Amino acid sequence: MSVQALHAPEVDAPPDARRIDVRGLCKTFQLAGTAIEAVRDVSFNVRRGEFVALLGPSGSGKSTVLNMIATLLKPTSGQILIDGVPVIHGRATPNVGYVFQRDTLFPWRTVADNIGYGLELAGVPVAERKDRVNACLKQAGLEGFGNAYPSALSGGMRQRAALMRTLVVEPQVLLMDEPFGALDTHTKIDMHDVLLRIWEREQQTVLFVTHDLGEALTLADRIILFSARPGRIKESFEVDFARPRNAVKIRETPRYAELFQLIWHSLGEEFIKGRKP
Amino acid sequence: MRRARHAGRTFAWQMLICICFLAIWQWGYALHDRLPWLVPDLLDPYFISRPSDIFEHFLILSCLKSKLGVFNGWFNGEFARCMARSENNLWIATAVTLKNTFFGFVTGVSSGFAAGLVLGRSDKLSAIFQPFITAVNSIPRIALAPIIVLAFGIGDTSKVVTSWIVVVFLVFFNTFEGARSIDEGFINAARLLGASEWQITRTVVIPSTMAWVFASLTPAISFALIGVIVGEFIGAERGIGRLIIESEARAEASGMMVAVVVLMLVGVALSALIWRLQAYLLRWQQHNLAE
Repeated sequence: MSVQALHAPEVDAPPDARRIDVRGLCKTFQLAGTAIEAVRDVSFNVRRGEFVALLGPSGSGKSTVLNMIATLLKPTSGQILIDGVPVIHGRATPNVGYVFQRDTLFPWRTVADNIGYGLELAGVPVAERKDRVNACLKQAGLEGFGNAYPSALSGGMRQRAALMRTLVVEPQVLLMDEPFGALDTHTKIDMHDVLLRIWEREQQTVLFVTHDLGEALTLADRIILFSARPGRIKESFEVDFARPRNAVKIRETPRYAELFQLIWHSLGEEFIKGRKP
Repeated sequence: MRRARHAGRTFAWQMLICICFLAIWQWGYALHDRLPWLVPDLLDPYFISRPSDIFEHFLILSCLKSKLGVFNGWFNGEFARCMARSENNLWIATAVTLKNTFFGFVTGVSSGFAAGLVLGRSDKLSAIFQPFITAVNSIPRIALAPIIVLAFGIGDTSKVVTSWIVVVFLVFFNTFEGARSIDEGFINAARLLGASEWQITRTVVIPSTMAWVFASLTPAISFALIGVIVGEFIGAERGIGRLIIESEARAEASGMMVAVVVLMLVGVALSALIWRLQAYLLRWQQHNLAE
């Protein structure tokens, strides 16, 4: 396959296949009286069951885009539709789960109570809640830690617990803001495998923000590359590795190296542009 | 093993300090005539009494001994007669003071907590009330005690109100700061998991404010006690503060000291209760140490 053919064709998915639809999104922050344009005219869509990574250097507005989709930030202009319905700032969209950059586990709740939190809010009966939490603990390799408090866990364990707190309510759309950014390389690759197994089984629609190209290649079906500030979409790449993927093995393939080199070049340009003079 | 020996040694030192303290108090003034440069006049039992006199007076005030120095006995009816005769015996005085302290504390903590939460979570309300709170907070609350006694009479109500007014601000400011400093990440996490405003308050705001609230509770319990005692100084029929005033009128240092010792014990017991409650409710914090 030629390198040029890797560029994803800029054709939209048919409307009924679009889970996330972003149109003409702009965001300008007011900081100490100065207007800072963080995102300029971003449009893309994510198909049902697709895993898309938003990749870019820091300050490229990719997290801002994600947070607008998550209703945490209000767009300056533009439209965001999830399953065809516009999202409302400050109000959680049903069926959408969010995983934070740093884990926001409640320190006053045990790991099991943290994971069961969403079920508790929804009024799920205690017995059912317990079963589902136990299944999640098992899935995340946290058996035996249910009664521990988050402060007793390692960074990787905490992030797995945080992931399970989001997944326990079975969201159809998963928004992830550099969820593994604070972890060391090996823990990160472990987490990639955990996430890949879950995604292969549940087939959620995932929008994953990262500045780590290796991470984006390992996980995503498609990578949307953001430019340096103001954030715009620069390019989009299909990642055509077969599934199921193995987070360790995939990095050894020549194809990985080929894609890495290609995208790295484009990312590097933005990285240099984003540097302060 | 080593720690146990260490604890034993600490305890031995504490005992030694207690014994020295009590011994100097009891017998120190006997040296006054011979060594006036070493023993200050203040050690005079006329001012500070002495442990044996205080104990004696304790027995009398608590109806365990008659004024003539005879042990009353529990079953010959003398104890009951004494209890009925002296309206403000030590038992009643302690019970009354404790009761008023409790109500002052509970009302102060609950209203201070509620106000702190509401204002702490609302920028609009806190902006409106800010100057008033600062102004009222600048008043030494104890200065209001005479006015409160004038307004609410010499009964228990005025003591509860005095106690409330010194407690409420303390708890309010701590809760307010706690509610202001909540990690927005926790609130966003809860909101995105579908929590309503009330669920956010109950499951995020209150638990994360708890550490701040508890930091104010130990001083709050002492403040509640201070409020009640000052109220009783100004005008009361019963209570430990009243006992102190009565003894002072008779220039009876031992009577005042009995009251002071009882107040100390009450204060320690109440603080211990708070610590137990705190250790339970904030047990998640203990685990930070184990890391």
